[in-house]
Amino acid sequence: MGFIQQLFGNKHRPLDIDLQQHGLSLPADLLEPSLVLNLEHIKKSFGYSQDVVIQSMIPDETCPSIMGFIYIEGLVSPTALQSLLTENINLDLDEQPLTALRTSISTLGQVTEFSDFATLYQSLLSGLTVVLLDGCAQGLAANTSGGEHRAVEEPTTQSVVRGPREGFTEVISTNIALIRRKIKDPSLWMETMKIGRVSKTDVAIMYVHGIANDGLVEEARRRLGSIDIDAIFESGNVEELIQDETYTPFPTLYNTERPDVIAAGLMEGRVAILVDGTPFVLMAPALFTQFYQSAEDYYQRADFASLLRLLRYACFFISLLAPSLYIAITTFHQELLPSSLLISLAAQREGIPFPAFIEAVVMEVTFEILREAGVRLPKTVGQAVSIVGALVIGQAAVEAGLVSPAMVIIVAITAISNFVIPSFNMAISVRILRFLLMLIAASFGLYGVTVGLIATVLHLCSLRSFGVPYMSPMGPFILEDQKDTIFRMPLWALFARPRLISQKNSVRERNTAPNTPQTGRPK
Amino acid sequence: MKDVKISVNQFAVLVMIFTIGTTILVIPSGLAADAKQDAWIAAAIGVGINVLIVLFYNFISRYFPDLTLVEYNEALFGKWLGKMISLLFIFFAFIGAATVLFYMGNFVNTQVMPETPIQAVNIIFASVVVMGARLGLETLARAAEIFFPWIILLFVLLVACLLPQVQLSKIEPVLAVGSKALIKGALSVAGTSSLPFIVLFMIFPAHINRKDRSPMAYLIATVIGGASFVIITFLCVSVLGPIMTERHMFPSYALAKQINIGNFLERVEILIAGMWFLTVYFKTTFYFYAFVRGLATVLNIKDYRSLALPSGMLMVIYSLVVYPNVAYMSKFDTITYIPYALTVGLLYPLLVLAVSAVRKSMLKN
Repeated sequence: MGFIQQLFGNKHRPLDIDLQQHGLSLPADLLEPSLVLNLEHIKKSFGYSQDVVIQSMIPDETCPSIMGFIYIEGLVSPTALQSLLTENINLDLDEQPLTALRTSISTLGQVTEFSDFATLYQSLLSGLTVVLLDGCAQGLAANTSGGEHRAVEEPTTQSVVRGPREGFTEVISTNIALIRRKIKDPSLWMETMKIGRVSKTDVAIMYVHGIANDGLVEEARRRLGSIDIDAIFESGNVEELIQDETYTPFPTLYNTERPDVIAAGLMEGRVAILVDGTPFVLMAPALFTQFYQSAEDYYQRADFASLLRLLRYACFFISLLAPSLYIAITTFHQELLPSSLLISLAAQREGIPFPAFIEAVVMEVTFEILREAGVRLPKTVGQAVSIVGALVIGQAAVEAGLVSPAMVIIVAITAISNFVIPSFNMAISVRILRFLLMLIAASFGLYGVTVGLIATVLHLCSLRSFGVPYMSPMGPFILEDQKDTIFRMPLWALFARPRLISQKNSVRERNTAPNTPQTGRPK
Repeated sequence: MKDVKISVNQFAVLVMIFTIGTTILVIPSGLAADAKQDAWIAAAIGVGINVLIVLFYNFISRYFPDLTLVEYNEALFGKWLGKMISLLFIFFAFIGAATVLFYMGNFVNTQVMPETPIQAVNIIFASVVVMGARLGLETLARAAEIFFPWIILLFVLLVACLLPQVQLSKIEPVLAVGSKALIKGALSVAGTSSLPFIVLFMIFPAHINRKDRSPMAYLIATVIGGASFVIITFLCVSVLGPIMTERHMFPSYALAKQINIGNFLERVEILIAGMWFLTVYFKTTFYFYAFVRGLATVLNIKDYRSLALPSGMLMVIYSLVVYPNVAYMSKFDTITYIPYALTVGLLYPLLVLAVSAVRKSMLKN
């Protein structure tokens, strides 16, 4: 009967019933006046876990009522806990015990008052210490949160030569503070929410009110609010659940470990989404050109930065197209090569048993294997194994006559130019597409490559990130935004915010170009 | 569906690409056959005819600023007569798509990859056309904007590399052929490049966001697109000579084969062919889009996307059947196609204009 009902009956049972069956209920119970009953309730809910520490004060003449301090070891900071206990152990609580206690506790910080178990558990699990009084159906929570966490260090994935070396950490309050330090204006607003029915992860939205589009903030709020999932552990989970398109290899949300990048994005009207437990902060909306910009572009000189950006776009094309072009040209369009190069390539390919396509696929897959292995190699053997991989496999394969040297060069250039793309999630998409283009190049030559490129561009143009077309300012061509797309014009020229993202307050402060200082004697 | 709007700049880019389309690929040969060494003058006159036709289309478009042409047919002629006329119109779009697909397949099959079966070439091109039509007008417009600089770059490369080889003696004697040959050539230009603008009426007044500036943009884009194939025709005649231009089926491809920079940069015609793949792609896609949108309107189907894939399959099959051989193709193009294009592109809009004017005056009374 139950089986049949499961098959044909209502499959969508209310989620609370599910949770209750698994003991993960959200009790709406209220606190009892009796301290002993409350403590028993707490112990039972936590399954008598040892890290939930309960300290209750026995009454004597000086302290007539019983106080109980409950905290979770490891989530509280020892110093705060110690000062809380020392100050309040011998507190005189004759009349108005709750108010007296509250005043005494508030030296530590914000005090929360509650009368139900749900808030009690939430406070406990956030590192607060809960104080319960016998005879009182209300409790107080003192701010003692602490615990071990990583210090603020240089971000490993996005390092720069010049620029700040701070990176986000796993604690959301630290991250919010890091951003606040960059934008010291009261109009930097933030909203928090808890996402995940069981993990109850803190998620915060930050934006600059007055610059960010209200519709964008509302959309971010709506999407985050509509997430219905058990647990969120990383911003990547949040990204998957709120992004516009799922069936695309291209990322539509930008993530970064650097506060200065987030602050710059906020100043352009973007919205930052911070997730507790991960140093990677999301930024919406994300455009294609954004993934080719690095923080350093704005700290180095404008001309150098523009050249580097051009290099990055060139590397995008190289890492996407190099193997396909090689396959297409050597298979179908040999006439394109200059004669001397043609003769040398033909000589190289003389004894190779495989067609160019198989050669290319084998070498590319080998390189992907090496790359994935390199991520997990322990540091001690990493160097040796990578030398083995590069030299031995590459050299030996050539000498064994399995691949031609030109192919090794092409694969090497492709792989290196893939690392030039600053954003890892964009680099992944290029890796995926490269194989598709190789396949179509092997079948249809440069005609196939053109058709494949048209299909890729069509796909890119159809993407939207939070409602903004992904390829702007190149897709819908916006002339004013071209100053920061392929080139980076000097800062005094970048006086407007990107048009489609910040639709109000579109002019930053107008700067004048700096004057060269006058030389010569003062008048 | 009506809230899909493209900007005036995007529309201008689309018109330029549509004008260049197949014109650059095949027209110089027909022009040289008619007008010999004055082919480029005939092309210039053809651009003039293009401008007149676009002015005419701009005038008509004022009668239906928010409807596509197929919807306006039903409003104007009544339900059943309107649907009949719309079917004739969209069949023109379908034939256009299939013939352009045939040109592309033929070009690739004869010049680039002779050993690949033409069916495969057509099928992968048609798949991208169907994909573009399914993704919608905004995506196509944005993709056109992204590809446009590359098309310009390849065009400038072609012209710049060939300027050293221009021999002005080959275009003399100037204006020696009679005006009849010039007019005939100009009409064939108009038939290939501007009369097909009738299919752009599926997007022209209805989906542009600033209707006051779009007629001017239409004109300017036509002139610029026209200038490009005047330049190409001039280069064909002055580099290859009128006889060779006439003999080649794809004279501009033969032109690209002449590029030779320092004995290093030679045989790069396939890169120039890349430009044609792009322009022909957009032309095919817009013919196809007009067909599918029109068919959906005629059949009262809300979302035209469901018709895209079956129509694409039909288009591929039809492209293999529409011209049994190349001799039939050149006969059709010179003798039958120009009156057909004039009927659908000129007489039909005149009919629409006449009925609209009569209706307007009747409404006023």
